[in-house]
Amino acid sequence: MPDLHLDNIIKNYGDNQAVKGISLEVPAGEFLVLVGASGCGKSTLLRSIAGLEDISQGTITLGGRAINGLAPRERNIAMVFQSYALYPYLSVYENIAFGLRARKFAEADIDRQVHWAAELLDITRLLQNKPRELSGGERQRVAIGRAIVRDADLYLFDEPLSNLDAKLRDGMREEIKRLHERLGKTFIYVTHDQIEAMTLAERIVLLRDGRIEQAGAPLELFEQPNNQYVAGFLGSPPMNFIEVSLASGYMTLPDGQQLSTQAAVADGSYYWGVRPEHWSHDDNGSDTLQASLEVVQPTGSRSYGTFYLAGTHVIAELEAHALQWSGKRIALTVDMASTALFDTQSGERVG
Amino acid sequence: MLKTLLDNDRTFRYLLVAPAVFFILLIGLYPFIKLIIASFQNISLFDDIRSFQGLLNYERLLFDDRLWHSIVRTLLFTAVALPIELVLGYLLAVLFLEKIPFKAALISIILLPTIISPIVAGATWRLMLDQRFGPVNQIISWLAGTDVKLLWTVSASLVWPAILIAEVWQWTPFMFLLLYAALSNVDREQLEAAQIDGASWWMTFRRIVLPAIMPVMFIAVLIRALDLFRVFDLVWTMTQGGPGTATETLSIYAYQMAFREFEISYSAAIAFLVIFLLTVVVVAALRRVEVSR
Amino acid sequence: MNKRDSGLRLWLRFTIALFVTVLFAFPVYWLVAISFKSPEEVYAYPPVWFPQQFNFSSYLTLFRDGDVWAVWNSLVTAGISTVLAMLVGTLAAYSIVRFRTGGDHLSIWIISQRMIPPICVAFPIFLLYVSWNLVDTYVGLIMLYTAFNIPYVTWMMRGYIQDIPIELEQSAMIDGLTRWQVLRKVVMPMARGGLFATAVFTFIFAWNDFIFALILSKSEVVTYTVKVTGYFGSQSTFWSKISAMSVLGVLPMFVVVATMQKFIVRGVSMGAVKG
Repeated sequence: MPDLHLDNIIKNYGDNQAVKGISLEVPAGEFLVLVGASGCGKSTLLRSIAGLEDISQGTITLGGRAINGLAPRERNIAMVFQSYALYPYLSVYENIAFGLRARKFAEADIDRQVHWAAELLDITRLLQNKPRELSGGERQRVAIGRAIVRDADLYLFDEPLSNLDAKLRDGMREEIKRLHERLGKTFIYVTHDQIEAMTLAERIVLLRDGRIEQAGAPLELFEQPNNQYVAGFLGSPPMNFIEVSLASGYMTLPDGQQLSTQAAVADGSYYWGVRPEHWSHDDNGSDTLQASLEVVQPTGSRSYGTFYLAGTHVIAELEAHALQWSGKRIALTVDMASTALFDTQSGERVG
Repeated sequence: MLKTLLDNDRTFRYLLVAPAVFFILLIGLYPFIKLIIASFQNISLFDDIRSFQGLLNYERLLFDDRLWHSIVRTLLFTAVALPIELVLGYLLAVLFLEKIPFKAALISIILLPTIISPIVAGATWRLMLDQRFGPVNQIISWLAGTDVKLLWTVSASLVWPAILIAEVWQWTPFMFLLLYAALSNVDREQLEAAQIDGASWWMTFRRIVLPAIMPVMFIAVLIRALDLFRVFDLVWTMTQGGPGTATETLSIYAYQMAFREFEISYSAAIAFLVIFLLTVVVVAALRRVEVSR
Repeated sequence: MNKRDSGLRLWLRFTIALFVTVLFAFPVYWLVAISFKSPEEVYAYPPVWFPQQFNFSSYLTLFRDGDVWAVWNSLVTAGISTVLAMLVGTLAAYSIVRFRTGGDHLSIWIISQRMIPPICVAFPIFLLYVSWNLVDTYVGLIMLYTAFNIPYVTWMMRGYIQDIPIELEQSAMIDGLTRWQVLRKVVMPMARGGLFATAVFTFIFAWNDFIFALILSKSEVVTYTVKVTGYFGSQSTFWSKISAMSVLGVLPMFVVVATMQKFIVRGVSMGAVKG
């Protein structure tokens, strides 16, 4: 099974540069997720790999063969679209068989393959139905079936779950992950949803404005973000940022509250990043700040409290019953070792 | 060979439009160029002289009373028929928006006049308006209580009303259909919101309904205005432009000049004038539609 | 609103709607009625509102005199030109939609061809046809109708093709289809309804044409519209022939209105309104 190499890919739309020189190695069998806000170039990159967009510069190599310049059908890839792209005038069976017929497979092979895929996705009973008779989740399965039925070098997913409701999405996410383990093929998956990215990926590539912001294993990006953007993008609710000034081992918040810090950085002004789960409600803690509670959002096991602290709003994830009063000043303890400091100019993480 | 051509996106796209462009050039552009050339010449079908005579034909346009009368007649007819069709079509559309038994069947029947040939429409109304055997005079006689024999397609004062009746009969359903479709698409929630806000009927119409149906109304009026401006078939069947030149429209005059009087070069000048005027109007109008989309 | 909707108001509306329908339908009824009247009934005074029996003599006369060939001529010219215009126009529309061929200019230029009054180009075309010996031939009329309907087909199919999700085509290309195969196996089936509706309206436009047929036919390829106007004479007018021939000319329209409900709005509005 071939590896994929992207070498300095650039894509221009007129004066607008959507992809600004991306190089990436995708070893065979990897589950790679391209994630980023809308307009970051992730879909353009995926569509360039598929051949649906011509790239302006760079080379795409698949198994040692340069494929940019080839028509999509010559690249031996399979793709699942956000809208599923099912043919309404064909049955589920014929939809799945479409790619095999296009490649002139023998009827017996087609039948075997279609049933194998249908079995795998649990849609055998739907084979004779038309797409319009199916629910959203079932259509999604058919779309995936149509991709996996072919023995492609590369499987591309373009936000395949964004048209499903939340509950179905959770189920399908798990199923796609299981499918990858079962097939052992290279998956490249595009999403704007950081939870999807975290849960699915073996490796996440976070894109921003046509460039790679950071690439790595999900937890690596979460725990060791290169910069403020990555730190803020991953995690829900997102990381809180407070502008602080550091001087001789003390960190001063805008409202004058102080904490001692071990961070090995020069004195000066920084953004201090604290994830919601790194706050706790503990009156006896050492690193404690006073904040006033404004809103409580219980989710069941945990509650999210929105606090007013040092001129800004911060969200803390606390134990479900810890918060019952609003408008009250509360002592919040912070796990200093897990917080991060970012340069106010460049956004780079410094400590 | 063909296979590789079809495979290449760049050649494929041009290969697809090529036949269409060829046909339109042949039947659209060739006559157009021919027209321009002819309009500067002096061509007659009877002798073989083809001499260049510059702008003489265009100069003649300016002083041709029969031409200007036909243009005024055509524009007047358009100006009278179009609002009538629009208003009647709108009223019908409003009526049919409500719940009515057998609605689909009734609409189908009402639409029939619009898609039949104008020739048949003209013939039908000649039957209807025949002074002796036609039902229209019969009904008028019955209403008036005395024997009435109006010479609809012959008498100079009645020909225009006769043509107008046929025209309105044939094209009101067209307006009705488009406005009905447009009105059906007006956002129900906006209307309900207006109701809750206590908007008057007139305000609802001005602020919600009219803006919503405006694009469709614009297209409908444009299509009909262009058709009316070149009206030929209906008038030809009903009166052939007569009596005298009483119902001679622009298209009929152009036809008479070209095929009855064989004034080839002069009729080319007329045609070129008409095409020029229409092109300006149509391009401007289409631009507006494209922009508003 | 809904409370008052029942009963009296409903019937009042129905009565008005029915009256209007009768108003629009009556002339067509009259046309059909005359075609089935006996010669005595046609020229009866006062007119006969309901013919006593179906009398086919008007139609028989058309057959006996060979006038029905005009209907056949209309059928052949309109039919073949529809097939050609559909083919050429649809391909052009696909290229314009998917490859933006010619940008906005090409599609505006194509549709503007339809706005040109036929009478304006009639004479140059007549001269062209004289020199090519195409006057009074099937080929001549078919070519003309094809050319004049290509803008309509292109414009309409452009709209229908735009409605096809592009992902369907992209997915097919990834699955291994060539451009040409995508056109045949994805675009055509997806646009089936639009193709059918556009073909029907294209046929109607050719079928209803009068000016070109008037100018370009003499004796061989006379269409039904030319034939109908020919029956009006200064001395005598052949009412029964006019009505019978007209009825034959209207027959296809009955079929259209009955089957094309869904597409009729879009068809007559040149795609400006999606029906």
